[in-house]
Amino acid sequence: MRDLKHLQYFEDLLQNANNDLVKKARADGKVCAAFVCENTPEPLFNLGNCFGVRLFAPNTGSMDVATYYMTSFLCETTRALLERAIEGGFNFADCVIAPDGCTMINRCIENMELLKAVESGSDRFFYEHMELPFKADENGVRLMEVQCRNHILTPLSEVYGIDVSDRAIRDAVREHNEICDLVNRIGDLRKDRRPRITGYEYAVLVLSTYVCPKYLLKDRLSETLEELKEREPDDREARARLVVTGSEMDDPEFIRLIEECGAFVCADRYCFGSLPGRKRIAMNEDEDALTQVCRHYTYECQCPRQMNMEKFYGRKAYINEIAKEYLADGVIYDQVKFCDPWAYERLSGSTALREEYGYPVLSVDRPYNIRSSSGQMRTRVQAFIESIEIKKLREGKAGTGGKA
Amino acid sequence: MDVMKNEKIRKGDASLGVLYDSGKVRRRREWRGFKDTLYDFGQWLKLWGIMINVSLGRGFFKGLFRYRWMVNYLAVPHMIDKFTIGQRDEALRITHTAIGYVVKDVALTIKRCLRADSRSGNDVKFSDRCVLVDENAMTSFLMGFPDLIALQREVPTMFSANLINQDSAVHYIDVAQTFGIPGDVCPMPETEAGISIEDDFVVAGKCAVQVNTTCDGSMMGNGIIAKRLEKQYHIPTFQMAAPLRHRSEDVQTYAAEEIKAAIAFIEEHTGARWNWDAYFAAAKRVNNTTRNRLEWLDINSTPYPQFVGAVFSLYNDTNYMGNCGRSPEFPLIDEKIMKLVRRGYEKKSMLCREYRHRCLVWGVQPQYVIDMLYWMMECWGVVPLTDMLSMVIEREIAEEDTPENREQAYYDMAYLSENMIMRNHTHGGYEVLVDQLWEYCEKMNADMVMMWEHISCKALTAMHGQFEEQARARGIRLVWVSHDLCDPRIYSRQAIRDQFNRYMRTVMREEPVDPSLEVLPDDEAW
Repeated sequence: MRDLKHLQYFEDLLQNANNDLVKKARADGKVCAAFVCENTPEPLFNLGNCFGVRLFAPNTGSMDVATYYMTSFLCETTRALLERAIEGGFNFADCVIAPDGCTMINRCIENMELLKAVESGSDRFFYEHMELPFKADENGVRLMEVQCRNHILTPLSEVYGIDVSDRAIRDAVREHNEICDLVNRIGDLRKDRRPRITGYEYAVLVLSTYVCPKYLLKDRLSETLEELKEREPDDREARARLVVTGSEMDDPEFIRLIEECGAFVCADRYCFGSLPGRKRIAMNEDEDALTQVCRHYTYECQCPRQMNMEKFYGRKAYINEIAKEYLADGVIYDQVKFCDPWAYERLSGSTALREEYGYPVLSVDRPYNIRSSSGQMRTRVQAFIESIEIKKLREGKAGTGGKA
Repeated sequence: MDVMKNEKIRKGDASLGVLYDSGKVRRRREWRGFKDTLYDFGQWLKLWGIMINVSLGRGFFKGLFRYRWMVNYLAVPHMIDKFTIGQRDEALRITHTAIGYVVKDVALTIKRCLRADSRSGNDVKFSDRCVLVDENAMTSFLMGFPDLIALQREVPTMFSANLINQDSAVHYIDVAQTFGIPGDVCPMPETEAGISIEDDFVVAGKCAVQVNTTCDGSMMGNGIIAKRLEKQYHIPTFQMAAPLRHRSEDVQTYAAEEIKAAIAFIEEHTGARWNWDAYFAAAKRVNNTTRNRLEWLDINSTPYPQFVGAVFSLYNDTNYMGNCGRSPEFPLIDEKIMKLVRRGYEKKSMLCREYRHRCLVWGVQPQYVIDMLYWMMECWGVVPLTDMLSMVIEREIAEEDTPENREQAYYDMAYLSENMIMRNHTHGGYEVLVDQLWEYCEKMNADMVMMWEHISCKALTAMHGQFEEQARARGIRLVWVSHDLCDPRIYSRQAIRDQFNRYMRTVMREEPVDPSLEVLPDDEAW
């Protein structure tokens, strides 16, 4: 396929957390609220004169200093973030707001706080830690509402004078939904047998929507969508269509590695992915906006930290649903090394998807930066793709898609 | 601190290293002088009495041959010996009184587990009165159900089995890892998951309540266990959440609502009804426990600490977690211990031959598996004043039955639950893990911290650098002792001791009080 016109532009945005759009927004006089974790209600950072940036640490090499502080057994994502903060890579932020999504992300931000690692130069800079619900229920919605009010809205309003009114929240959700709609329309193209976008390209686009100010992305995303409508797909189908699911993954190179082995990543259910991270937030006029946003994040959450059994079973059923919708031949369960929640979810998920839903499953742990050990991963993915092909040959059909 | 010598000449064995050999048990029992040896032997006999009593219970022999973990209980007397090395007088009696009751409590749990188990005792009527509860749960939400039994089936299967036999978890860890759980997670929930994967838990109970305490690993292992309970044995499960930031006011309503939901679930599935009289009676006992424990800690802050070591921690653990005021027997044991503690303090009794350092034990600890805390005293004269697990509930809860207190009760139960042992420091922000340690050091006049670094405990190790830098800035001696909890293949007992030995010799430049204890051939011992 021809290269996408703006791919290089989007890739460049992902080379640095303090990318050109972040710089531009700050130059526009906007307040930058940095946050972590997919379970944090993202639109609440895009209120009024504020824009949200989800922290990531592209091109991470050494994590030695963070390893001293957190030891080598800590999740590599959290160590990479701390290392980047210590290097001064997040000094553009005017505040850092973090939930106790998992123990390690909490400790990561606490270390930043204690080390005063983020030096924005502003004397108004602050850290906030918030609680998230453990279950998808109305008690959880109420908790999230209180937490968002106390740890996002109130500090943003009091410290930076951000408009946190119901109207401002609705405006932010509208903008959020516009981005979601664009991303989803692009994402729907992956359902074709001969898709007009690669999984890698899509991962780049989606990731940019998490780490850039949204209002500065809309035009290029719209143009890319129009371009894709006219794009001529490759003649050949991929050797296998795969769902990638797992923990924090802000490294499109991982998707590229999978696709270099001949597969097509047709669906992305990982933190920083579009399923369900880019599902639009349904709003009505009857209930206050904050409650509706919190309800969306509480119920749509696919993070293994949600412990009730409906969610436990539901997460596996969700993978089955998207695998069917996107015509997947197999599933890759990935876990960033040393992530506890996904260590267990990878086991229970891969077992259920294989035994109960009938998918071929590859279960892997991976480094934060795939380039640090791409050879091993490539071998495993190649073997997995071959096993799917052999299965297809035996069954004499193109694509299994799990049990009927 | 200045070295404090024990003026009282210790009767009996002086070099305790002679008791150890490479076998499963000690070479012989410790000679403590006639009176103390007789007392110790009497307690040993009593222990066998408890064990024989368990074996007379319904389903015992079927269970013995069905469950791999049952064989560990042959080593119970050895476990007690681990906790009494070098002890005489009041200290010996305090330890025996406390651990004796812990053993009795665990024995009762085993008896109940096997009686209710559909594969051994199969007493269906009894099983219907049981609610399966996580071993990591404060059983506060059962304080108002006097007719129900909180069956903590993971206690005999995993927790206490590992106190008794250091290798008890190894097989189940291997099962879990073979199934796909990585080797870097905490081996404790991993073992529990392994037991469930191998279907080696007793099958009992009308319903089950799981909690998200202690940690991410523990919470995640629950899903695997609940799936078997629900799908294979049709035992409904409820997941009760306790917020992580337990010091924050704005999470307490959420926590209280979770307690209410758990109670409603239990009522629905067992038919039992919440009893406020029983609740407030239990609340009084919880407060009694808190007052006693705080007084013991006060005494440990003086130059003459009395109740220390793994048994102090174990006793608190059992008293708060499994009991949570429900048993009327614990206050009686508390009273006995209190008399001994006060007597020891008045007599200025010392626990070992000399005190060189006053030490606070912090971090996630394997101290039940190894006799480390007693060994530190005997080998190096380092007195473990208290440990992280014992710094648990700090305030009393409402204990009078009034309309206001009935609503407050849900918050109090939530408070107990959120502050379950260990978790109240490993979660809730660095303030409760790091800052509070220094506060306790000051309060208890400690000049040293022995930091158990459980390498798989992410909540703790993630603060490694902070501990190191802050201890240095405060001039506190910090001894890192790494371990992997119940997996002795990662750090053996001697590998654990060696870290302490190395620090004492190279940093402190000290010689051991009892050199025979420095290296012990007990890696193969139960």
